[in-house]
Amino acid sequence: MSREADIEKIILRVAQIMIDELKLEDVTAETFDPEIDLIDEVGIDSMDLATVALVLRDEYAIRIDEDDYPKMTNVRLISEYIDNKLKDQS
Amino acid sequence: MDDVEGHPATATPQISNKEWKFSELLADPKIRDRWEKVRHYFFLRESTYDMSNRCNIRCEGCYYYEGDKQFARENRDPEAWRELMRAEKKRGITYVVLAGAEPSMVNALCEVCYQEMPLGTIASNGLKVIPEFIQYKIHISVWGNDETSLKIRNAKNMLGRQIENYQGDPRAVFVYTFTRNNIDQVYEVAANLADHDCKFTFNMFSAPRGYDGSLRHTADSLAKTRQTMVDLLLKYPQNLLFSHYSAVAHTHRYGLHDLYACAYPRMNPSTDIGLGRSFRQYRTDLSWDRKAACCVPDTDCVDCRHYASGSAVVTARLFRHATDPATFKAWLDYVDTYLAIWVMGYAKGDNLCNQLVAPPGHEVF
Repeated sequence: MSREADIEKIILRVAQIMIDELKLEDVTAETFDPEIDLIDEVGIDSMDLATVALVLRDEYAIRIDEDDYPKMTNVRLISEYIDNKLKDQS
Repeated sequence: MDDVEGHPATATPQISNKEWKFSELLADPKIRDRWEKVRHYFFLRESTYDMSNRCNIRCEGCYYYEGDKQFARENRDPEAWRELMRAEKKRGITYVVLAGAEPSMVNALCEVCYQEMPLGTIASNGLKVIPEFIQYKIHISVWGNDETSLKIRNAKNMLGRQIENYQGDPRAVFVYTFTRNNIDQVYEVAANLADHDCKFTFNMFSAPRGYDGSLRHTADSLAKTRQTMVDLLLKYPQNLLFSHYSAVAHTHRYGLHDLYACAYPRMNPSTDIGLGRSFRQYRTDLSWDRKAACCVPDTDCVDCRHYASGSAVVTARLFRHATDPATFKAWLDYVDTYLAIWVMGYAKGDNLCNQLVAPPGHEVF
């Protein structure tokens, strides 16, 4: 599977986790815009991001550094971050 | 800390090396219920506001009368305050703390803030009643017994007057500030508050920059304060809003910044997310300065153990506390305590962790 395909798969899962954990309405994993700014446009804050990070840590068995939160401003960036971590571990 | 470790109810738990998943932590129904209860309030985003430059008393070590902010000219125009509150809402602020110098001197402005922003707290000395229709939490500062209050606040019969004004008021939380010199006095004050069924919590004197007076804590006074806090937690569980982890976080030999990395703009250059992005501390002229922005400006950051600061700084560190059941329960207790102190209508649950748990990456003291 190509890196792009890997990331697209992760994007769907991350979007679903966002929707579930943050109780977002009127959106599905398929319709979630991976480029939308989570802080400015979705309105999530540091506590929300920490919660999502904990669930992602469970899901992908990766270490997430608190200092990396500022890099995680949209679903695509989060997914690329996860993909990089997974590749580093393998 | 031998004296604390020797107490059967406060022994430090043994934490294993197991790497816990978050889902495993939440598998415990008590933890999950408390997590669901507190996370409901993650939408709170605070800023603080000096309402006036006047106070009806003058206390030694008062942070307001340090630095430049005391010289700000008062803006007494209610419509200017209304506009500010509306602008604050627009930029995402959901919670206000009305402080300095003494907000009860300008109750009309507090009312305007409440009309526009329904969640908040007023920090007051409690000598002048804030009208009941302002349904903010009211934190009433107590700095020792009446003899001490007379000495360092020049106010007679202070606790009696504070209780008379706020007994039975669900808004009121009495905040006892431990200095190096008033630790033993808290027993007398706590008994009095409990007799009148008042809620109370603890603060730690945190020295203003350049302060070299006798109130600044030492290692010995921190240890003694911790032991006293734990004693009172066991003695007054119905009246004292506190937790074992609150005691650890605020009496540690390291201050809050060294333990948790303060997230307020004054110590946090990042504007990406969280307090570094949204928090402002407005002076009474409605100006603000990012370089000075924290809940207790002009405090010596190294010595900061302030309860208001901790409420945000410890709470923000969810991720690093989700490591094992004891640490996560301790953090949940801390957040539950913070919400009970600061949010109207929030009822504190029983503490989940009655042991002294070390802050992540540090020793217990």
